[in-house]
Amino acid sequence: MSIEDLANWLSETPLAYALTDSTWLFGTVEAMHVLALTLVFGSIALVDLRLVGLVEPGRDPRQLLRQWLPFTWAGFALAAATGTTMIFANPSGYFTNFFLQGKLVLLLLAGLNMIAFHFIASPRLTVPGALAPRISGAVSLTLWTTIIVFGRWIGFTI
Amino acid sequence: MEGLIAFSNWLEHTPVSVAVNARGWFVPAIQVVHIMAIAAVVMAALLINLRAAGLIERERSLALVTASWLPVLFGAIAVLAASGFLLIASEPGRALFRTVFWVKLVLVGAALLATWAQRAVGEARPRALHMALAVAALAGWALVIFAGRWIAYADGWPGAPA
Repeated sequence: MSIEDLANWLSETPLAYALTDSTWLFGTVEAMHVLALTLVFGSIALVDLRLVGLVEPGRDPRQLLRQWLPFTWAGFALAAATGTTMIFANPSGYFTNFFLQGKLVLLLLAGLNMIAFHFIASPRLTVPGALAPRISGAVSLTLWTTIIVFGRWIGFTI
Repeated sequence: MEGLIAFSNWLEHTPVSVAVNARGWFVPAIQVVHIMAIAAVVMAALLINLRAAGLIERERSLALVTASWLPVLFGAIAVLAASGFLLIASEPGRALFRTVFWVKLVLVGAALLATWAQRAVGEARPRALHMALAVAALAGWALVIFAGRWIAYADGWPGAPA
């Protein structure tokens, strides 16, 4: 099955019809997506800014991670679910959209950065002046800011 | 509504409105700033309200948490007001003549008041009061986001300029 066949099949599903027939449903899913991304971006940015050393420098970053990771994952689950739902409204349009494709690549890179953080930066969190956590935080902040930019641009190019 | 129509017509022809529409990417770029400031509001509101409810940051006093995060909250609201004004200037008829926009402004005021009240009430008060304020404030901020997104989909008032 090609991407085109998948797009055509998705556009014939009850969810696709519900989204295109309703005047308020798409906007409501979008609002849930915005709420979810503020949780993802906000919780990640708080930890990243600590890693970079710009906020709460005296604070143990591991305690911040423990506190905010559940918010990150809950927000990410909601963002993924609502983001996937929005694709049903115009599958072929989204699949061929440069910014949606780019956003998926950036999300993959953010995931790889997270794995790198776990293995390289995380063990050095308590080492004074360690560079790895700072780099990891800066990369993460840049990636997630770009993800928001790409996400907003999808709406203007679809 | 006449006054609002006059304001909208005036705003549409100001240099600010012309400047914001000068490039196609200005409006989505301002929206990105608006969204990132919303994230700051959500984080500050979560920190203050969940701390007041005794759910996070228990090793720090409520006074310390509000002293750190109320300025972030007010700063983010200032960024939202400025970026929101530019977005309205880009297309005055879009927000001003929709009920949901004015509902959003009232909700911002209410959620801000409930969040600020966590400090005003003080730590000695019963936890139930902090809990009730936290539920009201966080539900209020969530509704602000929904109202904001619905502006794009709501019908304008009858007789309003397109």
